Amino acid sequence: MIEVKNLTKVLPNGRKLLDGISFKVKKGEFVGILGPSGAGKTLTLRCLNGLLKPDSGEVIIDDELGIKHDICKVNKRELRHIRQRIGVIFQGYHLVKRLTALENVMIGRLGQINTFRSIIYGFTDEEAAEALKALEQVKIADLAGSKTGNLSGGEMQRVAIARAIFQSPTLLIADEPISNLDPSNAKTIMKLIRPLSEKIPVVGVFHQPEMTARYCSRVIAIKDGKVFYDGDPKLSNKKLAEIYGDELNLIEEREHMYMPNN
Amino acid sequence: MFKGYNLKRYRKYVLPLVILILVTEGASIVCKADFTSLEQGLLKGVSFIGFMFPPDWSAFGEMVQPAFQSIVIAFLGTVFGTLLAIVFALFAASNITNKWVRNITRFFIGLERSLPEIIIVLLLIAAFGLGPMAGILTLTLGCIGMIGKLLADVIEELDPVMMESMASVGANKLQVIIFGVLPQIMPNLISYTLFRFEINIRLSVILGAVGAGGIGYELDYSFGMLQYHRAFTALLVIIAMIFGTEHLSQRLRNKIKMEGALK
Repeated sequence: MIEVKNLTKVLPNGRKLLDGISFKVKKGEFVGILGPSGAGKTLTLRCLNGLLKPDSGEVIIDDELGIKHDICKVNKRELRHIRQRIGVIFQGYHLVKRLTALENVMIGRLGQINTFRSIIYGFTDEEAAEALKALEQVKIADLAGSKTGNLSGGEMQRVAIARAIFQSPTLLIADEPISNLDPSNAKTIMKLIRPLSEKIPVVGVFHQPEMTARYCSRVIAIKDGKVFYDGDPKLSNKKLAEIYGDELNLIEEREHMYMPNN
Repeated sequence: MFKGYNLKRYRKYVLPLVILILVTEGASIVCKADFTSLEQGLLKGVSFIGFMFPPDWSAFGEMVQPAFQSIVIAFLGTVFGTLLAIVFALFAASNITNKWVRNITRFFIGLERSLPEIIIVLLLIAAFGLGPMAGILTLTLGCIGMIGKLLADVIEELDPVMMESMASVGANKLQVIIFGVLPQIMPNLISYTLFRFEINIRLSVILGAVGAGGIGYELDYSFGMLQYHRAFTALLVIIAMIFGTEHLSQRLRNKIKMEGALK
């Protein structure tokens, strides 16, 4: 479970980027965060794994033993420990391009193994087999030995998901995981992420309301640094217009792209 | 519409050209450069080569060992220098260390590069005495100055999202360096190292002439003893040595370029 309480982040000039954001995500939920650009979606997400420290507020996360931590108040060492169990899928291509797909998956456990062992590339055979299994789960086991830089965008995102699976995380966060993908690849990635939410909470930032309506179990809309809507993923056009304002035209254009049959 | 497409457009070059000519004339007067001696000198130079001809092949046997020593000096200097340069480059990259460490490291790297190798080797000969050690250390320092600077710039341009994503699985700095930074900079590292090896081969000859051992010393000694045929042999050995290593390193680098096409 992850609980966010009253996150605020204020720029020195007084502009409030996050203004009291609170929500709770239980296991079994696949939450999509929507909102216009600059609303604070990615900022909120970065608070969830401590990449960004909010000015005030709490982010309570259970670790693998079920102990609660406030990620905004832990020290560096504890933060590294908690992050070992937070799977992250970033926007675009965040993998090490000159390593193979399998090696990139193994990076997911770097934090969990001892530094000396990792320096001599000392992964055990069991760990390698498990990493391969994670690649099988995302259906690209045959690409395990290819250099990641040679893979397509969709394949890279699958490696990223396999890496998150290999971490055996207690929370998965995804920052615009399908933004750079074509429609059919985007659907595949959503289909791969959704079953993960059966065991752990999954929180993702998306720009495609039609995709969150289809695959997420809940939608949170953030506008001007506040939670504007929290509930059913299927949003009415009126609600979408309220959330996105002037940006809605852009979204609708893209919706056409996603549904070529209509 | 097409104005200025006639001789008039050269007007703006007239004044700078006049100034350049005056300054050049003034400079050659100041340093007493005598261009009439050019013709004479050229003739002397050509006759000097004729004087050195033919090379004294009986001395070839004596050249092999010093030539080999020069190559070993260059090789060791490159290996030690590159290893140290990686460490310096990491400390000089803002995305690995903090601002202070970066700036201090960059200052030392810059300081090294501002000193010509020939001056460094004279200082080191004073400290370590004549012999290959001073040469190896000079080349090591040279490597740090050049490769350290180039690599640090490459590291600073690495994808920040890639580094962040490694930190966000709980990896520590050392692990990020080994699994993220090193694999990504490897093509640059190899190509810079080979390039520097070529430079070091040439430098090791020059450093030898001032007393750091190797084939450079043979050349200097032969000239000093007025054994011009022997000096010519040394010169041919040096040219062959440099051509050989450059050819080899060029081939290796082309191979890496093809394999490293993806970034």
